[in-house]
Formats: sequence, C-alpha cells, structure tokens
Amino acid sequence: MKLNERSLAFYATCDSPADNAGFLYKRGERHTAYHRRWFVLKGNMLFYFEERESREPVGVIVLEGCTVELCDSAEEFAFAIRFGGAKSRTYVLAAESQAAMESWVKSLSRASFDYMRLVVRELEKQLEEMRWGLAGGCGGCRGSPSSWKLKPSGLERSPERLPALPAVLPKENGCAVWNNVPGADQPPDTSGCGGHDSEGNPRPPPPPRRRASSSEAGSAGVAAAESPSTFNRLHEQYGREVARLRQDWLQRQRVPRP
Amino acid sequence: AVLKKRLVKLVVNFLFYFRTDEAEPIGALLLEHCRITKEEENVFSISFVEEPERKYCFECDSKEQCQEWIEALKRASYEFMRRSLIFYRNEIQKMTGKDPLEQYGISEEARFQLGTHKQ
Repeated sequence: MKLNERSLAFYATCDSPADNAGFLYKRGERHTAYHRRWFVLKGNMLFYFEERESREPVGVIVLEGCTVELCDSAEEFAFAIRFGGAKSRTYVLAAESQAAMESWVKSLSRASFDYMRLVVRELEKQLEEMRWGLAGGCGGCRGSPSSWKLKPSGLERSPERLPALPAVLPKENGCAVWNNVPGADQPPDTSGCGGHDSEGNPRPPPPPRRRASSSEAGSAGVAAAESPSTFNRLHEQYGREVARLRQDWLQRQRVPRP
Repeated sequence: AVLKKRLVKLVVNFLFYFRTDEAEPIGALLLEHCRITKEEENVFSISFVEEPERKYCFECDSKEQCQEWIEALKRASYEFMRRSLIFYRNEIQKMTGKDPLEQYGISEEARFQLGTHKQ
C-alpha cells in the first residue's frame, strides 16, 4: 500500500514536540533478538529510528485499535502493543527501567486518535452544559435547571449525534443577556467574548461530529445535521428571557415617573 | 493529468483511497501538516508542508460535497484535535477554576499544555 512516506518522515522529524521519546528494545519479527532503537511518539504514530541522530525513521506503528499491556518475557520491563485481526503482529518492546516502562505504557495507551476524540467530545459536552447552566442562572429563571438542561447521559446518545458546540456566537449573546438582567450574580465572561483566547490566537473552530464509519466519494454527502432539539431549546430559553425582560420594561413604562 | 475514479475514506487522520471494486486500499495519505485548498469548481487539493508544489487533487460530484470534504479534512489532523482539546480545557478552567483533565489523570501530560505546541 502506498503511503506518503516523505510526509510521514517529515512529521516524525519536524520540530513539533514529541509526546514521548526514548530508547526502547524492540523484538524482531522473525528472530527474537531485541534491537535497541530510538522511539518517538507523536500523536497516534510511534516512529522508530536506528539511532537517535538518524534523519529518517526506520519504521512506524500506527496506534489505532490496539491494546498496550505488560507481558511475560525473559526481557525485563517488557510490554506489548497488540492489534486485533488475523494478520496483525504484536510488537514487543522493552524499556530500560521500571519508570520508563510505566511512562511508555501510559502514553501509548492514550495515544490513539479515538481516545483524543473521546476526551474532546467530553469537554465539549461539559462546556455546553455549563453554558446552559449559566444562562439559566440569570434573572428569575432559577427553576429546576434539569428541566431544560442537557441530559448528560452519553450512553443514550450515539457518538455521531453529539451536537457541535457553536463557535463564538452564543457566548457573545450570553454575555449580553447576563449583563442586562438584574440580579444576575454570574460575572460575565468578558475575557471570553470575542474571537481570541488569552494568547491572542484565533480560536480553533470546534471539531465537527465525525461519523464512526467513513465518508465515501460516491455517496450523496449527507452533512450531519444539528440536533434540532438543542437549538430549539436554546431558542426557547432566550425567548422566555426576552419576553420576561420586555414585560418588566412595559410595566415600568406604565408606572408614572416621580 | 488523468482523473481516476476512487473510493475515498477518511479514517482518523488518514485518507485511504481504493479502486472502486477492491476491498484493500491502494494507498493512504497521512493528514498532518497539510493544507487543504479549494481549487476550481468542485475540486480541492491536499498538499504537504515539506513539498507544497505537489498537489493531490480530488474532483467531487457537487460543490456541496466538495465543501463537506474540505471542512472534514481541515479538521482531520491529530494536531487540530489537540488544539481543540487545549482550547476547551482552557475555557472550562476559566469558568470553573478547575482543570477538567484531572479526572482523566492526564492533566500533567506535556501534549495538553497551553503554549507547548505551536502551529
């Protein structure tokens, strides 16, 4: 299978920081002798070089769908990267100390793209729930928050249907609402309003919902739709807030001014 | 340049391509440090930082499909996912004063620190 090897080699050797690096012994495929190699973990790719100064990796292991486990071996501090599938091989590696072994097992078992995506979705969900919670805390809307708060049960929701967090807009609306409503004790997140984070870098847009299966060129590309209930509820929420403010204002207009 | 019809699959940060009647991919592109560009009508290209003049061009059936792929590919890299994670972590920390990564036991990992990974 063809691979853009130059790009892989570039990714391996460019100066973006590695997630882990060090010497490990790698057991050969056919002969069980161990060879000392320089390993570099970047993202979900584990590259290995003949030597630390080598300009190009000798090989790469893509860490998707694998398990990392300790293994019984004559070699001390050994662990294995195991893949499913009949034709897949198991990579047996050995570190030079207990601490190094533990550090590698930890970082390798969390290196997959899937793991990263899981954590990102979890944080996205937390952030969304928090924003709803804060909007509900304004003014008189202190009723049971659970009535219109997002039900957090991730188990019910299929991963593909998690609503994407809208980028900047609701946050700016949220600031305006909180500022105007009397009695709101939530400090408006003024540092958050606007499109830049504290470092002045433009915010990355939220990752889209990804289909677990992949897109096909031949299909009529169905864009994942926003969950209508999420936006309806948000819209309804803001609508109630606006209606209440309007009523307050109208009432104040009727009272004769002193 | 000849256009060949291919089945294309985006799986994590790899773009696999197949002959339309085969089960095994002919090849794959790792989507790190790459640039996705809209070319002419219904066409986008992928090029890589270390070889910017070499463009992998893809022609789509419609401009909607083209746009969908461009959006998906721009967000397909591990590095993009990492930046999003750092962004959300920071937002939550600002709002709650707590680090949301603590519950996962990964808050000390270098790869999630703000400012460690420049673009």
